[in-house]
Amino acid sequence: MKKYWKSTAIIFVIVVSIGSFYVNSATSAEHYPKFVIQTLSGNAQEIKPLIIKGSYADTSSMTYVNTSLAISAKGTTYESRSILDELVGNPPQEIKRLQEKYRTFMRGKGFSGELLFENKKFLAYANVDSGSIKSRNHKFEISVLTKEDDIINSFKMDVPKGKEMDYLHVEDVQIIEDKLYLITDNIISNNDKQYEEKHIYTIDLATKKIIDHEAIIQFSRSQEHTRIDVQLVRTSPTKANDHLILLKTENKVSEDMETTSEEVVSQEIISYNIETKEKETINIPGLRLGGNQLSFYDGSTIYFMRLDGRDLLVTPYRLADDTVGQTYSIQLSGEKGAVSEPITTVIDGKLYVASSQMNADLNADIIVADAYTGKTLFKGQVAVDGSSKDNSQFDLSLYKLFVN
Amino acid sequence: MKNYLKLVNFEFNRIAKLFAVLLGVTFVIQIVGVIVQSRYYLSMANELIYEGMLSKVKFLENYGHMSLSQIVISMWFLVPILLCVAAVGFYIFLIWYRDWVGKNTFIYRLLMLPTTRLNIFFAKITTILIMTLGLVASQLIMLPIETLVMKSIVPKEFIMDITLNQIVISMPELRFIFPNSPIELVIFYGAGVLAVSIVFTAILMERSFKWRGIFAGLIYSAVAVGLTILPLLLNVIVFNGFFYTIELFVLEIIMGLLVLAGSILTCRFLLMKKITV
Repeated sequence: MKKYWKSTAIIFVIVVSIGSFYVNSATSAEHYPKFVIQTLSGNAQEIKPLIIKGSYADTSSMTYVNTSLAISAKGTTYESRSILDELVGNPPQEIKRLQEKYRTFMRGKGFSGELLFENKKFLAYANVDSGSIKSRNHKFEISVLTKEDDIINSFKMDVPKGKEMDYLHVEDVQIIEDKLYLITDNIISNNDKQYEEKHIYTIDLATKKIIDHEAIIQFSRSQEHTRIDVQLVRTSPTKANDHLILLKTENKVSEDMETTSEEVVSQEIISYNIETKEKETINIPGLRLGGNQLSFYDGSTIYFMRLDGRDLLVTPYRLADDTVGQTYSIQLSGEKGAVSEPITTVIDGKLYVASSQMNADLNADIIVADAYTGKTLFKGQVAVDGSSKDNSQFDLSLYKLFVN
Repeated sequence: MKNYLKLVNFEFNRIAKLFAVLLGVTFVIQIVGVIVQSRYYLSMANELIYEGMLSKVKFLENYGHMSLSQIVISMWFLVPILLCVAAVGFYIFLIWYRDWVGKNTFIYRLLMLPTTRLNIFFAKITTILIMTLGLVASQLIMLPIETLVMKSIVPKEFIMDITLNQIVISMPELRFIFPNSPIELVIFYGAGVLAVSIVFTAILMERSFKWRGIFAGLIYSAVAVGLTILPLLLNVIVFNGFFYTIELFVLEIIMGLLVLAGSILTCRFLLMKKITV
């Protein structure tokens, strides 16, 4: 036996040391705090379908390791960093549901909701395949699933005037009756002049041909002393909408010796009817949105949101009868009167608001309100569960709200 | 089986000294690192609290508590670990070539053993694996000892207690060496065994056909690596992301096992028929 002692010893060390390392890490995994949503007022049922995604970092040891987490009414789940979880992937809630239900169709479709469209009859996907950047050989890739008979129709087509485009990407996909509408953002170079446009392509699903296309709005992003920005107002990415809401912001850029500052000069809200291609300017006196991305369009009503100190001001606007609702405010807790931009979403006429930051000195609010009237249905706070190890130095950032 | 175990034991005894030296060097450098870094932290704390008039609380807020995770990210830890990685990488070649040098070429005796020659291949690859895992396991034992050394230098109120697991997490560069779960351990080290088997095949080709063998070995390695990543390439180029990642993972494992089997069979053929002494 004597001549075997070295290899026996090393194998013993390997088994015991690595074995106990994994046994230990399995049993001591619970060193992260548990966050819960504490009810301050209102009905706790309101937050049942709510899931907030974010990340947690312990700042007491200067290592800054971020761990992703999800907070819901049931408590907190931390995402393990195991390779198997990464392999399954962690798509957004909506994509996950579609992948489970339409596994074949969702192959190779990625995780972006705005490239997808779903209604009772269809599930559709559209993207741009640009090949190599220099060739300017842009093609639309379109797949449509007819839910009733489970038939997938996939086709490719050249982008009209694609040779003039440096770059384009799909911002929204819609189907109304049997026409598919692609809303894209195109960057066009023509005779050394570069400009950008929001473009709409109408595709007949029966013949698989582009029957019409037009620019919704054309603009040059940067001119001397001004910067123009056009964005689509946020909406539920896969949902059916018959209007697009565009927000055109003109910023005055003033350059000092060292700093450049921007100031909103004018802002225009445009509603665009996808089917009739009619453009309409929405005018709300006294509405100043600034540069934020908070506003939300739920298909029938636009909720214009902006921050004023610690108040989130919401102005609803009903598209069907062009009525402006009463502006209401939701107070958020913050440090010294200032709050960072919260995360918001509107689902089924309810406005969900959550603070984006939390640490030992800063509370994170969770508020559910009637989106049109502003009546608070639930008010709560994210809190560290009492049974968890208390740690006063941490940073919790919340970045996305999901409502099932 | 018994012959294989005897051969493994024999091969391991041949590197036991080198192995012990590696462990010793690693341990000494890391302990010195712990002492230097702890002293540095302590002198910084002294200076700022007594001369800079900073309160203890304020100091901890700005500079953080001391823990081993601050030390393991320093060069004192990275350098010896990289040294071990380099040593193992070097020995993957040496484990074969040392048998061919010297007056009585040792490989002659190995090949004459009354056992299947493939056992030599298996014994050598096992030795590499034991050596690697042995270094990893020893590092895991060293970390608590180093924590004790740190605690004996830095006063308690400046120390944050963290688990072994947290220390390892603070070295993201070393995730492949210390995987986070047993499954990952099997996957990563399995991939390692596959890579070593490809290198061994190339070495045996060189030993069988000399100069021409070098080319054959290089071509074999390229083909083997190409085959291994073929599912990934096909998914991107031909299938346009058709497979879900979990499916791709299963395909990769199957492909890896096939390439491993191919390498073993090639080595068996070379050892039985083509090897020259």
